[in-house]
Amino acid sequence: MIRFENVGMRYSTGPEVLRDVTFTLEGGSFTFLTGPSGAGKTTLLKLMFLSEPPSRGLITLFGYDLATTRRAEFPALRRRIGVVFQDFRLLDHLSAFENVALPLRLSGRRPRDYIADVEELLNWVGLGERMWSKPPTLSGGEQQRVAIARAVVAKPDLLLADEPTGNVDPDMGKRLIRLFAELNRFGTTVLIATHDRTLLENTHAREMRLVDGRLVELRASRQ
Amino acid sequence: MKWTAANENRILPRDAGAGPLDVVIGVMAFLAALALGASLIADRAAQSWQSGLSGRLTVQIVPPAHGDPQAQLSREVDAALGVLDSTGGIVQAAPLSEKETLDLVSPWLGKDALVSELPLPRLIDATVEPGATIDIAALARRLKSVAPDSVLDDHRHWIARLKNLTDTVVWSAYVILALIAVATAAAVAFATRAGLEAHHDIVAILHQMGAHSGFIARAFERHYFAAALVASAVGAIAASVLFLLAGGLAFVGVEPVHFLPPLSLKAEELPWLLVIPLGSGLIALATARLSVLAALRRIY
Repeated sequence: MIRFENVGMRYSTGPEVLRDVTFTLEGGSFTFLTGPSGAGKTTLLKLMFLSEPPSRGLITLFGYDLATTRRAEFPALRRRIGVVFQDFRLLDHLSAFENVALPLRLSGRRPRDYIADVEELLNWVGLGERMWSKPPTLSGGEQQRVAIARAVVAKPDLLLADEPTGNVDPDMGKRLIRLFAELNRFGTTVLIATHDRTLLENTHAREMRLVDGRLVELRASRQ
Repeated sequence: MKWTAANENRILPRDAGAGPLDVVIGVMAFLAALALGASLIADRAAQSWQSGLSGRLTVQIVPPAHGDPQAQLSREVDAALGVLDSTGGIVQAAPLSEKETLDLVSPWLGKDALVSELPLPRLIDATVEPGATIDIAALARRLKSVAPDSVLDDHRHWIARLKNLTDTVVWSAYVILALIAVATAAAVAFATRAGLEAHHDIVAILHQMGAHSGFIARAFERHYFAAALVASAVGAIAASVLFLLAGGLAFVGVEPVHFLPPLSLKAEELPWLLVIPLGSGLIALATARLSVLAALRRIY
């Protein structure tokens, strides 16, 4: 599914943020990416969701070597990835419903085919009453749930989440992790970047740890 | 609130790029419509002048300085009419009456009684059969032989000068139109880039979610096409109203200027002004599309 070989990353002429990162994510796996703030978790995610090119090394995504893949093929690859951004990145002028429906629009589905799905998902994350509210009127936790719903609505092949439970209460956090696990059960590869170790305690998922830009610790899945 | 088709089509916020750009496009469309209207008026005037003068000959007989001018003038007019009537290709020749001659000079000399006492030349207006070729030089010589004070004018010189003048006006209008089109394109390109900058987050998130460049470009080009269409329609309508008002000047006592065409557009010419909002919208659309695609090419 995803393979990194000796990947290094630096922004402009700055120091290397990631160094010699090598790992493989098998299809259908569930992985936590942990590490202290500034360790490079977000940068690693950016490389995985095709936001930045690596400075060096080889990345293979869904069988495509990104160094030799034509740029015109990137949108199709990106549509196979759901991303929960740490800062949510919702479109403020669209309602929660419209934000969540956006990936389905981009994949060419017609509204009458997805309205019920989107409403059901928003009800599931507890936003049934607020689906027509705009993000600026929602709390941080509500915005986070909209961002998560948007990332999972198209049932992506790969789900990448950057601190997805950072703004919700523990109960909602567990509920959201269950949502990711459910998605994973149906075949989606999940990688969650977090520094909340309590999330890991309740699961048997694989853990990759980043320290100072290097992957220094790997815990195999105990499932 | 429920889902609606209008919401479905909306990707950019409604305020994107509004305001100053609309004013600039509206003013430019107004100027472009004035330039286009001026070219239409000049073109119509040129055609009217040419059709009025071509196919016509004028023989002017200047009053002689000695002897009995009126008797001499009458003799020469009769002799000249005889030559014209016997010339093949001339279907009709008639002298202008004294009143018609006075009417011709009245714009310059007025209608004072003293004017009628001036030694005015006599004019003979001749109509040439359409398609007929007349040897003007030979005709002038024959006229001179019977009427020594005659001057033959086939208006070729006048027509050439009028054509030069109207061509200059028409081409000037086209150049102004081209300059306004370039300025509109530049303004729209600038505003689109500013819009892209202001909505970089929207472009980035759509790009990140796998939107094709064409999808993002369409959102921007639709937005700027609609904005430019509406703004330039307002400008073109304002110019149309001005042209219609110019047509009504005579009703408020403004006298038309002789030999100059009326500064108003005919009803059948007004639809030409629709070209301005349509052209302006298409320029905005193309510029927005190219700017967005260029910006997206710079993103990974």
